[in-house]
Amino acid sequence: MMDIIILGTISGLIYALIALGFSLIYGVSGVINLTHGAFIMIGAYIFGELNKIFLSTLPMEFSYLFPILAILSTAILTAVIGSIYYRLTLHQVLGDEVAILIISLFGCLIFQQIIYLIFKPVWAAQYPVPTLLTGELTLLGVRVEVDRAVAAILSIIFFIGLLVFTSRTKVGNALRALSQDLEAAMLMGIDPAKMFMLAAGIAAGLASVGSILKLTSYAEPASAFMWAEYMAYAFSIVILGGLGSIKGTVIGGLIFGYTDAIVSTRFPQAGALMPIFPSVIMIIILIVRPKGFFGKRIEME
Amino acid sequence: MPLIKYLRKTYTSFTTRIYDVPPRMFAFLSLIMLSLLPFMGIPITTLQVLIRINFMATLAVSWDFLVRSGQASLGHALFFGVGAYGTALLFKYLGYPPFITIPLSVLICVGIALLIGFSCLRVKGPYLAIVTFAFPLVLTGVVKYFPELGKDAGIKNLPRIFPTLAYTERWLAEYYLTFALMAISAIILYKIAYSKTGAIFVAILDDELATKACGINVSKYRIMAFIISGLFAGLAGAIAAHSDLFMRRASPIYLSAQYSLIPILVSVLGGMATIYGPLFGTYIYTLIDSFILKEMLNIDDWTRSLIFVSIVLVLLIKWPRGIGRTIVEKLEDLEEPREIEEILKEKGKKG
Repeated sequence: MMDIIILGTISGLIYALIALGFSLIYGVSGVINLTHGAFIMIGAYIFGELNKIFLSTLPMEFSYLFPILAILSTAILTAVIGSIYYRLTLHQVLGDEVAILIISLFGCLIFQQIIYLIFKPVWAAQYPVPTLLTGELTLLGVRVEVDRAVAAILSIIFFIGLLVFTSRTKVGNALRALSQDLEAAMLMGIDPAKMFMLAAGIAAGLASVGSILKLTSYAEPASAFMWAEYMAYAFSIVILGGLGSIKGTVIGGLIFGYTDAIVSTRFPQAGALMPIFPSVIMIIILIVRPKGFFGKRIEME
Repeated sequence: MPLIKYLRKTYTSFTTRIYDVPPRMFAFLSLIMLSLLPFMGIPITTLQVLIRINFMATLAVSWDFLVRSGQASLGHALFFGVGAYGTALLFKYLGYPPFITIPLSVLICVGIALLIGFSCLRVKGPYLAIVTFAFPLVLTGVVKYFPELGKDAGIKNLPRIFPTLAYTERWLAEYYLTFALMAISAIILYKIAYSKTGAIFVAILDDELATKACGINVSKYRIMAFIISGLFAGLAGAIAAHSDLFMRRASPIYLSAQYSLIPILVSVLGGMATIYGPLFGTYIYTLIDSFILKEMLNIDDWTRSLIFVSIVLVLLIKWPRGIGRTIVEKLEDLEEPREIEEILKEKGKKG
């Protein structure tokens, strides 16, 4: 029982971090940005490449700093790519929800194609992401890998950071104002285009950090086609917890984590069916509650 | 004798109107040209490209029909895959010949479409698109899990529809079969889309509440659109499973995202929600893709699809009317009462 709780919490927190940006951008601008899956994918690739570059160029005395440096610069790079992408494509058709869906889906394909062209077939299908920490520790009688525990703690830091950012800082308040009432916020002198770009950038950055933590700690290779699976994860987590709510996203992620832990520890033979779990959740929730679990778009806390 | 009456009426309207309306003339001429094309001594590889066009056009037209009823789907590959797997499973476990399994699998598709249409009645707009995107993902997972469904490799060695023909004749027969599939489904869907029933579909797209207030059973028409669309997509899938072009097998590839996305891509190229748009778009897409970019410029597959996806992205943002639609409107000089795009845009703003 204890193992389910601990393993489930850890993987659930990482899942929630992956989905967090998706929730943020929906909460702020009402855009269902399916390209989130592509940012998850390119985050892993940029991280792997930066890690290689740092290892070959920077002095080895500071090698323990490389991963942190690589994660930070990946987050910033992905954030820049994400906000520019948002401004160039989705912002142009703001309001037309079906067009946004189609465009963001094609956006995923564009990123997939670019990754494939850069890394060529072999690396595009299986790109190893370097592991950062090794070793195990025992937590309440359950053996846990150190990097997973660190990843979960980092995820918690990011949630708290985002909550503090949206509730305590001026820019965060502007984001919340936009999600509550667009016109009133514009009258207060908030530029929605800039703010939406910022939200899209933060979302993409969080996606890349989430994907790095997930892939390095679970030793999964990245692939140019992984966006579909992770997009399904992100969307179903967000819709489980209520679209646009940060706390709801964490709850949704934890539900996923516990399900994952129960299946992997108790029913390992059903593990091959796990990839369809998010899609099934998505279908059931949307059919039962057509506009997400809380019936309407809820404001960001 | 209502059939003869209908045929005569169609014939008179055809002969009187075809000369006045250039797009009809164009459609008629291209139908004749395409049906004569195999006699112009084109190589087998070109014929294969044309067969592929026929399948894609059928899929795209049926997707477009669904859009016209206000239900944009991102998972049209579902029907394509169900059609293919239906006929393959019926052959594998019951041993029926294609002439029985294909209609049966189309029936299965209709059942699935009924189920999805019924369960998605309350789901609208972007949420419907997401749900439909999830269905093929689920089915792919199921297919890859159970060995009875063939796992990754799929179900192989399905029989040919025309087993006795020689190599060249086989491709010719396949071309005519798929050409008939494409032409017939396009004509039927066009007829439905521009009939009284089709007007109700557009009314639902425009304003569902107002349509309800007119005493129209909106649910019935939404399910109907799903069934009609699923029927043709499933038929395409079932025939594809028996065709040499698709290696005569049913595999998870049928359910992959490309068969959901190519219909959208070509519809955007040709003009969405017009029925003729996707047809036009499929030809434009494939002609540029296989003959200009591939044969002449020798660009590899991945760059080509990057080019096309980028083009479509720009088109969706800057020119949502599409190429085919703009040409037809220039030619016909028609003024439709309300543009589909405007309706879509307005709906988005309201929601």
